[in-house]
Amino acid sequence: MTTPALSIDGLSIDYVVGAGRFHAVSDVSLDVESGHVVGIVGETGCGKSTLAQAIPRLLPEPPATIGGGRILFQGVDLVKVPRWKMPTIRGTGISMIFQEPLNSLNPAFRIYDQVAEAVHVRRARESRPGGLVRADGAPFDYSKLPAPRAGDTIAGHFIPGGVAQDAVHRRQVERAAGGTPSEVREVVLDYLKLVRINDPETILDLYPHELSGGMRQRIMIAMALCEKPSLLIADEPTSALDVTIQAQVLTLMKELIREVNTTILFISHDLGVIAETADELGVMYAGKLVEFGPVAEVFASPRHPYTKALLKAAPTRYKTDGPLLSIAGSVPNLSRPPPGCRFHPRCPIARPQCTVEPGPPLAPVAGAAPNHKSACYFPEEVPGIP
Amino acid sequence: MGRSPSDLAVFIGKRLLQLVPVVFGIMILAFVFTHISTVNCSVWFPHASADTLSHCEAQFSQPILSQFWTYFVNFLGGNWGASVTGVAVYPAIATGVPATLELVFASLFLMIVIGIPLGVIAAQSAGRWGDHLVRIFYLTGWATPTYLGAVIAAIFLAPYLGLPSHGEYTSSPPPFPQYTHFSVIDAMIALNPHWTVDAFAHLLLPASVLAFINMGIATRMTRSSMLEVIPLDFVKSARMKGLSEFWVMYKHALRNALITTTTVLGVTAGGLLAGTVVIEEVFGWPGIGAYAYTSIGGGGAPPNFDGAVAVVVVFAVGVVIANLVADILYGVLDPRVEWR
Repeated sequence: MTTPALSIDGLSIDYVVGAGRFHAVSDVSLDVESGHVVGIVGETGCGKSTLAQAIPRLLPEPPATIGGGRILFQGVDLVKVPRWKMPTIRGTGISMIFQEPLNSLNPAFRIYDQVAEAVHVRRARESRPGGLVRADGAPFDYSKLPAPRAGDTIAGHFIPGGVAQDAVHRRQVERAAGGTPSEVREVVLDYLKLVRINDPETILDLYPHELSGGMRQRIMIAMALCEKPSLLIADEPTSALDVTIQAQVLTLMKELIREVNTTILFISHDLGVIAETADELGVMYAGKLVEFGPVAEVFASPRHPYTKALLKAAPTRYKTDGPLLSIAGSVPNLSRPPPGCRFHPRCPIARPQCTVEPGPPLAPVAGAAPNHKSACYFPEEVPGIP
Repeated sequence: MGRSPSDLAVFIGKRLLQLVPVVFGIMILAFVFTHISTVNCSVWFPHASADTLSHCEAQFSQPILSQFWTYFVNFLGGNWGASVTGVAVYPAIATGVPATLELVFASLFLMIVIGIPLGVIAAQSAGRWGDHLVRIFYLTGWATPTYLGAVIAAIFLAPYLGLPSHGEYTSSPPPFPQYTHFSVIDAMIALNPHWTVDAFAHLLLPASVLAFINMGIATRMTRSSMLEVIPLDFVKSARMKGLSEFWVMYKHALRNALITTTTVLGVTAGGLLAGTVVIEEVFGWPGIGAYAYTSIGGGGAPPNFDGAVAVVVVFAVGVVIANLVADILYGVLDPRVEWR
C-alpha cells in the first residue's frame, strides 16, 4: 500500500463560545489514498464542513481550537505548521471548492483577474527553488521552503522589501517563464474550457454578479484546478444549486475526476451525489466518523446502525410507498454529547456497554472488505436490523 | 441604465443639477440667520467713518427680503459683496479656497494612508492588544476638541519638533509668483526646493492635527466593514489560492471593505471643512476657515455679513461635491452598483 495523500489521525476540533465548548469533531481518523475520491456524508451539524475546513487550517482560531490529533499531508503535520506558512501549502498543495458559489468569488474583481491570480500563484511556486513542484509528481519538500518574509506577518506590513518582494518576484517569474499577460490569458481560457464554459472570452471580462450560480461554481472549480493541487477538497459543491444545475455540475465533476488525476475529499449531505462520485465513503455522526469503507459495500451492507438508518431515510426518486422514514430522536447537543457511542440514545441495538466511555473505536469489520471499518460493537448485527 | 461612461456622465450631470436648489436653500438660510437680528451700525462699528455708517444704515434698514434679493442678484453676477468697511469678499475667498483645499486634501491623505491600514490591523487583531492600541489612538483623536488639539500642537509640539506653526511660508508672501495658491504646488512650480520643503513643513502640523482628530471615522469604518467582509467565503477562497495573508487582506478583503469606508469619508469631508475654521485660525493659515472666523466677528474683528454668507455657501458646495465624489467612487468601487 502506498502512503495516503492525506492522513487524519485522531483529530478533535472544539468551538469555544463563551463558557461552552462544542465538540464539533471528535477523534476522527481517516486516510485518503492518492488518486481516490473519498466522500464524507452526514447530517447538517455533524462536523463534516468543520473537518473539511480544518485540513487547510481555514477555520477561524479562535473560536475553533484543534484539541488534538494530526493532519498528515505529504509528510507534514498541518496542525503544527505555523499560520504564516500555511499559504505555501494552500493553492498548489490543497485547493478547495466551497458550498456557496454566490459568495466564494470576490464581487469586486473580474473573473479573469481572479482566475489569473491562481495561475500566478502556481507559476511563482513552480519557479521558486525548492517550491511546491508537483505537476510532474516530484515530492513536496517542506523543509526546503523559503524562510518567512517580512510581508507575511502583521508587524511586517510596512517593512520595505516584505510586500514589494511579491510583486517584483511575480514580474521576474513572468519574464523567466515567458509568461506575458496574453499567455496567462490563454491558460485561463484553457481552464474555463475545461469546466465546459461555452463562451470563455466573454465570461473573462464579467463580474461574478453577472453570472448564474452554476457558472460561478464552474469558475470556482476552474480556479481550484488551475493550481494543479494534489488534494482537492469539495465542501458541498452542489448543495446550494438548484436541481438541474446540480446535475450539470455533478456531471462535470464526474468527468473531471476522470480527466484530472487528483485526490478529492468530497463533502456532501446528499448520498446520491456520493454514490455517483466517490470510491470510498465516510459517514459522520455528531462529530465522529462512525463508518468508513468502499462506497458500493457501505451502500449495499452498512455495518453501523446510523448508516443503515440514514440510507433508509434517504428519498429515492420514485418513492410511492408511504411517508419518508426518519430516525427516531434528535441529534445530540454537541456541548454535552451522550457518553460512549454517541448514537446509542437512538440506536435500536444499543446495550448497556454502549453508554460507557470512550465508546466503540473505528475498527475493521470481520467478514467485510479489508478497509471497511465501523465504530460499532456489534457490526455483524446491523444487517439484521429491519 | 448600466455602467457605461455615458451612464456615468448622466449620473454626474443629474447630481450637479441637484446642487442648484441645495445651494439656493443654504444661501437663504445663511442670509436669514446672519441678517435676522437688528443691526445697529453705530454700536457694531464704533470706529467707522460717518460715510461708512450712513452706507451701513442704508443697507440694513431695508426689508430683509429686498436685502436678500439685492445680494442674490449681485452674487450671481459675480459680485459677492464687501464688508461694511469696504473690503471685497470675492478676492479673499478666491485666494482662500486653494489654501483650505490644500489643508483638507493633506489631512484626507493622512487619514487614508494611516487611518485605513490601522483599521485593517484593528480588524485582524480584533479583541486583542493590537485592536486596543489602535482604538486608544483614534479615540484620543476623536475625543480631542479641535481648538484644544490645535493649540497644544501649535504651542507645545511645534517647538519640540522644530516645526513651524504659523502661515504657509516662513516669510509671506514668498519670493515667487503664486499661480495656484496651493503653497506646496506654487513652490514646486517655482522649482525651488528650499521653499517646497518650507511649504511642506508648514503644512505638516495643521494637516496632522486635522487628520488626527477626524481619523477615528476612517479607522472605525474600515475596522467594522473588514470584520463584516473577513468571514465571507471569497476571503476563504482567496486564502485557498495560496495568497499570503497580506494580499488576502489588502487586496481581496479591503477592496470590498473600502466601499463603505469611502462613503463615510465623503461625509467626513464636511467635518474636515468645519475643522478648518479653528485650525486655520490657530495656525494662521490663510484659508476660508480663518476668513469665516473673522467674518462672524472672531478675534474682535467687525462682523462681515456678506463674507459670512459667501463662506457658508462655499462650504456647502464643498460638502455637496465631496458627497458626489463619494457617490461616484462608491459606484466605481462596487461593480454591482448601476449609475442612475
